[in-house]
Amino acid sequence: MSARRRGASAFTKTVVRGIGGSLGRFLAIVGIVALGCGFFAGLQMCGPAMRDAADELYDGTYLYDLRVVSTLGFGESDIGRVREVEGVEEVMPSISADVMAHMGSEQLALRISSFDVEAAQKSEAKGQSVVDADDNRYMNRLFLREGSWPNGPQECVVSADDQGLGVGVGDTVEILHGASDSADLLRERTLRIVGTVSSSVYPYTGSYGSTTLGSGSIGMYACVGEEAFDEDTPYTELFVRVRGAQDLKGASDAYEQTVGAVRERLEAYEGELSQMRFDDVRAEAQKELAEGKAEYAKEEAKAKRELADAQKELDEAVQELKRGRKELEDGQVSYDEGKQELEASKAKLADARETLDASRAKLAQGHKEMDDGEASWQAGKRELLAGIGLGPNASLAEARSQLESQRAELLSGREQLEAGIAQAKAGVEQAQGAAVQLEAGIASLDEQIAILPEGPQRDELVAQREALSAQLVEVRARIDEGQAAIGQLEQQLAALPSTDKLDQALGGIAQLESTRSKLDSGAAELAAGERELAAGEREYKDGVEQIERGQAELDAAADELERGRAELADGEAAYEDGLKELEKGRAEADEKLADARKELAEAQKKIDELEPPDIYVLDRTQNEGIATHEADSRRIDSIATVFPLMFFLVAALVALTTMTRMVADDRIEIGTYKALGYSKARIASKYLCYAGAAAAAGAILGIVALSQVLPMVVVSSYGIIYTIPMHPLPLPIDIPIALMSGGVGVAVTLLATYTAVLASLREVPATLMLPRAPAAGKRIFLERMKPLWQRLSFSWKVTCRNLFRYKRRLAMTVVGISGCTALLLVGFGLHDAIWDIIDCQYGPIVRYNTTVGLKDGVSQSDADEVVHTLETVGNAHDIECVQTKNMQARGDDRSAELLRVVVVVPQSDESLAHVLRLRNRQSGEDVSVGDDAVVLTEKISLKYGLSVGDTVVLYDQDDIGNAVGEGYPLTVTGIAENYVGNTVYVGRNAWKTVSQDPPVFSTAFATLPEDPQLRDRVAGVLHDNEDVLTVVFSDETIETYRNMLSVVDLVVVVLIVSAGLLAFIVLYNLTNINIEERVREIASLKVLGFTRREVHAYLYREIVLLVLMGDLLGMVLGTYLETFVVTTAEVDYVMFGRTIHPVSYIYGFAITLIFMAIILLVMRRKLDKVNMVESLKSVD
Amino acid sequence: MAFVEFTDVCKTYQMGDVEVHAVHGMSFTIEEGELVVIVGPSGAGKTTLLNMLGGMDAATSGTIILDGCEVSALGEAELTRYRRHDIGFVFQFYNLVQNLTALENVELANQICEDPLPADKTLEQVGLKDRMDNFPAQLSGGEQQRVAIARALAKNPKLLLCDEPTGALDYQTGKQILTLLQDTCRTFGRTVAIVTHNLAFTRIADRVIHVREGRATQIEANAHPVSASTLEW
Repeated sequence: MSARRRGASAFTKTVVRGIGGSLGRFLAIVGIVALGCGFFAGLQMCGPAMRDAADELYDGTYLYDLRVVSTLGFGESDIGRVREVEGVEEVMPSISADVMAHMGSEQLALRISSFDVEAAQKSEAKGQSVVDADDNRYMNRLFLREGSWPNGPQECVVSADDQGLGVGVGDTVEILHGASDSADLLRERTLRIVGTVSSSVYPYTGSYGSTTLGSGSIGMYACVGEEAFDEDTPYTELFVRVRGAQDLKGASDAYEQTVGAVRERLEAYEGELSQMRFDDVRAEAQKELAEGKAEYAKEEAKAKRELADAQKELDEAVQELKRGRKELEDGQVSYDEGKQELEASKAKLADARETLDASRAKLAQGHKEMDDGEASWQAGKRELLAGIGLGPNASLAEARSQLESQRAELLSGREQLEAGIAQAKAGVEQAQGAAVQLEAGIASLDEQIAILPEGPQRDELVAQREALSAQLVEVRARIDEGQAAIGQLEQQLAALPSTDKLDQALGGIAQLESTRSKLDSGAAELAAGERELAAGEREYKDGVEQIERGQAELDAAADELERGRAELADGEAAYEDGLKELEKGRAEADEKLADARKELAEAQKKIDELEPPDIYVLDRTQNEGIATHEADSRRIDSIATVFPLMFFLVAALVALTTMTRMVADDRIEIGTYKALGYSKARIASKYLCYAGAAAAAGAILGIVALSQVLPMVVVSSYGIIYTIPMHPLPLPIDIPIALMSGGVGVAVTLLATYTAVLASLREVPATLMLPRAPAAGKRIFLERMKPLWQRLSFSWKVTCRNLFRYKRRLAMTVVGISGCTALLLVGFGLHDAIWDIIDCQYGPIVRYNTTVGLKDGVSQSDADEVVHTLETVGNAHDIECVQTKNMQARGDDRSAELLRVVVVVPQSDESLAHVLRLRNRQSGEDVSVGDDAVVLTEKISLKYGLSVGDTVVLYDQDDIGNAVGEGYPLTVTGIAENYVGNTVYVGRNAWKTVSQDPPVFSTAFATLPEDPQLRDRVAGVLHDNEDVLTVVFSDETIETYRNMLSVVDLVVVVLIVSAGLLAFIVLYNLTNINIEERVREIASLKVLGFTRREVHAYLYREIVLLVLMGDLLGMVLGTYLETFVVTTAEVDYVMFGRTIHPVSYIYGFAITLIFMAIILLVMRRKLDKVNMVESLKSVD
Repeated sequence: MAFVEFTDVCKTYQMGDVEVHAVHGMSFTIEEGELVVIVGPSGAGKTTLLNMLGGMDAATSGTIILDGCEVSALGEAELTRYRRHDIGFVFQFYNLVQNLTALENVELANQICEDPLPADKTLEQVGLKDRMDNFPAQLSGGEQQRVAIARALAKNPKLLLCDEPTGALDYQTGKQILTLLQDTCRTFGRTVAIVTHNLAFTRIADRVIHVREGRATQIEANAHPVSASTLEW
């Protein structure tokens, strides 16, 4: 017994020493098993950790288990009815309304729900998951993150996650309009935000649920006190907590059974509840109708009375008008007469005027003539006076006396002169007779002298003659003297003025005097004419004045007539108006009354038609946020099973190769033990213990570490999009998962070990004692290609042969490395896939960046105006108007789950192509939305396996999002690439299958330049337009998405780290084994004179080749794995990018090589340590 | 000057606290073209001597000269060159690369040398013309040792060092190998040093170096060496 124990302890010692002697090998197993088990356990625990965290929050906040909604709402009495259902612990009523609201710079769908403010004020948050309150009826407890609870109907609290709206405490919410008339239920149109909260009803920040408003999803939630709603608003929902459910884990089978039982009971009770609610509502409505009818009767009588009064008044007005008209006509007649008379007077007066004017002209002529006469008289007088040398002022009488005296003088002068002349002339004539005798005596003496010769006779004669001539000269001088005197006298006579002039002057005076008298008589005559004319003028003036008076009188009469006429016209118009008004009033009253009657009839009809409400009992799975969170956790569960598989496979291979080597090393030892009589099992147990110890250590290490790290990474990553807080560290370790994972890890390792040992144990001790025959070299197929083979250096030949010689190592390395590359590729591919959602969607597919929602019944011209605004104010280059409708869809298989879709009917295919690039992802061909087209986005086609030619069925949905009706089957004509949301594009003709109404293009997609100021301007202008409901700039949306997607980066890091670990373990193990096994070979090569570098190359070349093979295989494996992860992780609302980017392949490939390079560099030292002396040792 | 000169060579290993003098003041010379047999019992320092002469280990003190080159003064990289070009080594356990054929094993040495002999010729020379394409596992021990010798010879080394070349072989085969080595020396005038514990081999040597306790105790020239084929032990 003791010997046995000692033996056992000795044996144990060999095990322990074995570990110490080959720590590298041991650690390789520890590492790979740790990775495998850790990953398996860690990933397996991620889902439960998420669900546990959620459960903690749901329990801590008393989240409802069931939610009961009714199409007719609930009254106070219904609360009691539900509370009495067996298993119901508490019931909390709430009013909730979906409205469009203006928050920050955006318009969005807002869900406003009432909550118990009083209870909330008394509640107290404990940690991140628990809210304590005394009142157990207070459910869906809120965490107040900031500010205070609402107080009064104008205050609200909103989600602490502001969804990028930039609104917070102190801002306001403007309610625009609601689904049906839900906005009217609110007392105030503007709510002030006084606090921010987190609600476990909305754990998912990606979507707060769906609605029929706006884009179809709730953008924000607000909580208000009940007083924010009108007093008689019925409760819209009843929240129910199920007895005992709080103690059960959410989403567990037990929970579902417990809640399911109550749910079934409530569903069974639905009919009764519905009937009771129906009775309540009908009684209330009937009462209201009766009141309405009485009111109607009152109103009708009043209207009739009023109309009769008005008619009477009008009739009176008609009479008065008639009178007025008569008076006016009389006035006109007298006016016309007066006017005629006046015209006659005017004509007479005109004649008088003419005569007067003629007289005046004549008089003026007379005056002029007089003046001329006077002037010429004066001139004559002046001339006369001047002629006689009198001053101009002398009178005519003076002139006459002077003139007569002058005449007398003159006449006497003349007589004297004439006497002088006659005397002179007689003297001259005597002289002249004497001259002639003397001349004759001279002439006769000359003749004698001429005949007698010269002698004294002749001398005598000549003397005689001389005497005679002297006498003659004397005579002649006397003649000349006489003649000169005559001339002088005659001159004097001639100089004497004639009397003519004086006579003439005297005549002139006489004439002047006669003219004077004539002038004087003319003047008198003129004066008389003047007087006459003045009298005529006076008379005329009087006539004019008279006429003017008459005219004034007449004008006054005309004015009066005009006034009278205008008054009459006014009167008539007023009458017309009155009449019209009366008609209108009558019509209106008729219409109003008819409406009222119709309303009453409708109300009656409604009451008659009133059906018991549909009551729905919804559990948590029908809450989008809660369901999404759970679905996400389940997705992790399914991914969790794939990754570890690879790790376990590698673990098995690592164990197999390691243990094979170990057994080979221990050959002789095994032989010795065998020879000593140890049993096979005993011998095997050494190796099993060794491997088992390594595996167990690895399992514990891996599970402990990764069961914390992985769930932490995953849960905190999801924390970005969920408001569910993480369980504080350390996270609880799920024992069954840990045991299972560890068990698998250890079992796989032991199995591999046993396989490795088995071969050696079969041999007989004798052969074991001999060195193992070295594995024979083998020819490989490559050698058949002689030319190629001969070109290879020996080391390449060795490498190639070695690759195929050690198949286990090849498998281990290739699988391990391909796993490493695959993990990297999954990491990067996942990153690509998720970022592609945005990068491929916005830009390549969605080209518009602005969505403008118009009112439902908007007219074409109003829509055009909005388009115009977008073009002019917004500089939009591409605009397309479409009809959008939230519907649900599925394939032909009517049992399949429904998918929420947006159905878009474009106005024109052509302009749609400008704002949206629809094309088939596989073929790359553009997909057109013609009149008959039905184009699905890719995710829909993938979900239901639809392709072109298949049938898709669209369903209308009611206010709470239930599909109604038989659905409208349509034939698919195209499938378009799309990543965010699910859309069905339906052409105009095809739309007729869905609705008889023509489509209303009330949503505009537009591409605006990226200028924030411009956008603000556009938003401002559009918000002022009453037809515009929403303006959404998608850039902001994209930013929100980007934030949410940063989750992925952490996952990528985890994957890269795991890939690195995997690569390290595998390559370390491989290199280690290779070196250990080939020590002799390496030493021999060194002895042969191989340099360090050549030795490294000799050994590493084959590792590099293996790694390259693994790397390439990993590319393929990774592609499939990534596709699996992507399709598993995908949610209905989005399609992940389907292609791994080339650069990711490069990264994956390169990083694996980098890992390899690092390990080879490290292992180089071990290689260098190989001693050449080893070559001299014998083969052991 | 002799071809190989060992002058006062010491090699001391530190084994924990104990200094082990493996070689202790060893001196001898070898002339070019001689067949030398270094003989001595186990633990006499034969292997250490071989290591130092082969450039696998450095001497602690003293000088080793081969063909005028002071091997004991070489650094690591120079030693590698020395092994590569000057020494041909024949191991007791052949140390062939299992994954290479006979021819390829010779080429392995061939490819790293500056002035190698043709691999096929060398193999022909050692009598393995027909077995060139066989893998080591397909050859007998003697044949494998022939390949090893061919590998060493193909490098065209200055000195062929053989460590117990017949140690793993049966008598007949061993004799054939010895004959081959002797022929190599005689026919090609190559200097061959054989390290062995078998005194019988001294008869074929031109020079015999007896090693005992780390010293060359006796160096004798053999004026009439016998042919290896007539040797018996």
